[in-house]
Amino acid sequence: MKIKIAITGGKGGTGKSTIATALAYKLAKKYKILLLDLDVDCPNDNLILGIKMKKVKDVETTIPKFDYRKCIKCGLCSKVCREHAIVFVKGRYPFVIPEQCIGCKACKIACPRNAIAEAKQKIGEILIGKKGNLTLIGGKMKPGIEESSLVVNAVKKYAKAYEKNYDYVIIDTAAGTHCPVISALIGCDIALAVTEPTPLGRHDLELILKLTKKLKIKSHIILNRSDIANKKIIENLARKYEIKITAEIPYSKDIEKNYSEGRPIEHRAIDQIIKEVK
Amino acid sequence: MKTITILSGKGGVGKSSFAASLSIVLAEKYRIVAADCDVDAPNLALLFGIRKLKKKEKISTNYKAFITKDIKKCPNAKKLLDVCTFSAISWDERREMPVINKFLCEGCGACKLLCPEGIELRKVKNAVVGRAKTKYGFHIVSGQLKVGESGSGNVVEVVKENARKIAQEIKADFIVVDSAAGIGCPVIASIKGSDFVVGIAEPTPSGLSDLKRVLEVVNHFGINYGIVINKYDLNRKVTKEIEKFAKVNRIPILGKLPYDKKFVKAIVNMMPIVVYEKKYEKIFKEIVNKVKL
Repeated sequence: MKIKIAITGGKGGTGKSTIATALAYKLAKKYKILLLDLDVDCPNDNLILGIKMKKVKDVETTIPKFDYRKCIKCGLCSKVCREHAIVFVKGRYPFVIPEQCIGCKACKIACPRNAIAEAKQKIGEILIGKKGNLTLIGGKMKPGIEESSLVVNAVKKYAKAYEKNYDYVIIDTAAGTHCPVISALIGCDIALAVTEPTPLGRHDLELILKLTKKLKIKSHIILNRSDIANKKIIENLARKYEIKITAEIPYSKDIEKNYSEGRPIEHRAIDQIIKEVK
Repeated sequence: MKTITILSGKGGVGKSSFAASLSIVLAEKYRIVAADCDVDAPNLALLFGIRKLKKKEKISTNYKAFITKDIKKCPNAKKLLDVCTFSAISWDERREMPVINKFLCEGCGACKLLCPEGIELRKVKNAVVGRAKTKYGFHIVSGQLKVGESGSGNVVEVVKENARKIAQEIKADFIVVDSAAGIGCPVIASIKGSDFVVGIAEPTPSGLSDLKRVLEVVNHFGINYGIVINKYDLNRKVTKEIEKFAKVNRIPILGKLPYDKKFVKAIVNMMPIVVYEKKYEKIFKEIVNKVKL
């Protein structure tokens, strides 16, 4: 049985990518590992693992292409566009603001004269890299584009064909709790919520635990930098949500240094996590 | 009234800590309003020691599609699966009808155009927006996206709008906007309409890579910006790289902050670092002087 493990946490900089890469690195010594970097806004796993990535595919969305010979300037396309991506002034031809368009095709469906065709707009790239037993597939959204979740979904879809050849699929998510994180979490078996014992870490962890509960994904808490402050605030929250703190990683300058130099960490807490999720 | 927006691309590099201290230092001389625009993981209020906001109101910036009982009459029902760009619609074989995954639906309404009777678009209350007066004398506006909901960009717009209203009432000089991590919709919504952007850089390969990506977005809007290097002594080699990147691109370095455990202690005590450790006030004042508006 393949297990899909998501690494998330809510707050940024708590160590999501550190844990994801360390877990992938360690497991790859024995198993075939597929690591998906679904932080398409700011993908970093390749930097930590020192993997050179190669572009395999563009991620494109649909964008309306107007045939002004057929257009009767009715403005319906602009009216149905909830993203306000189509500008229409009475008596003039409508036009699209590409950055605003999410590719939903509502305008095309609404057009009574069939004057809208589908053109393609590049919104990102899918990249792949390998190191021994570890395959890393990631996405990179084009700066200026808003809908990160479209790139996340495209990477997931692309990676689907690979999954059957691997023993574990590890998914690194973005910070936050919004659409790209939700899209990354859907379909995962286990979520590892990485946090730190500060009021900010606690606050965002609670949001993520509420989210994984809603999505019905079994969660574990990974307490990173466990000794930088009183960890009681996280222990109390863990009790409230009946979720286990599976591993604790005390602060260490070596870990910080490894990260700042772009190296995966090795720590017994990672073995602890592997034991628990197996 | 000028808006200064704090961002970084990478999360956890010190955006909120910086925004909190910048607000304190600005407030000594000017009238300000702070706005936490990291609406899916808002933390700025906590740094001012505020656990609960006041005047909270539920807002709705988003729609979601729902199947109605008339769906069986719609001849296009099966086509809905292909029309949904967000893969939110699947087919329930047993009930012979489409179902919508509410976590994936973006409320674009394309499905309703195919089945006007069988689909209903409903406004959803997707966020809470509130405010509070900090003990430091100024207001903070903060928003919270409801768990599992989408539309964070629109929620950011509402938070900024509310901050602007207060700023107009009190004739504020500055609005300080703390943005989310990443480069997607909530960050773009935070950048829009700003007068100056401060990019927080952390000297790690990820920190630099992410900063470059988010500054590329800022370039789209033609807004002036500067860089603050946080924990600059963590990796001096990458710090040098950041400085080189800034020099080549003619981006001013507004200041550098050292790695200091006191920053964590300040967070634990829910205080901005300039309040917890007075000696940092000087660095922040120098940064303020370098912000060109």
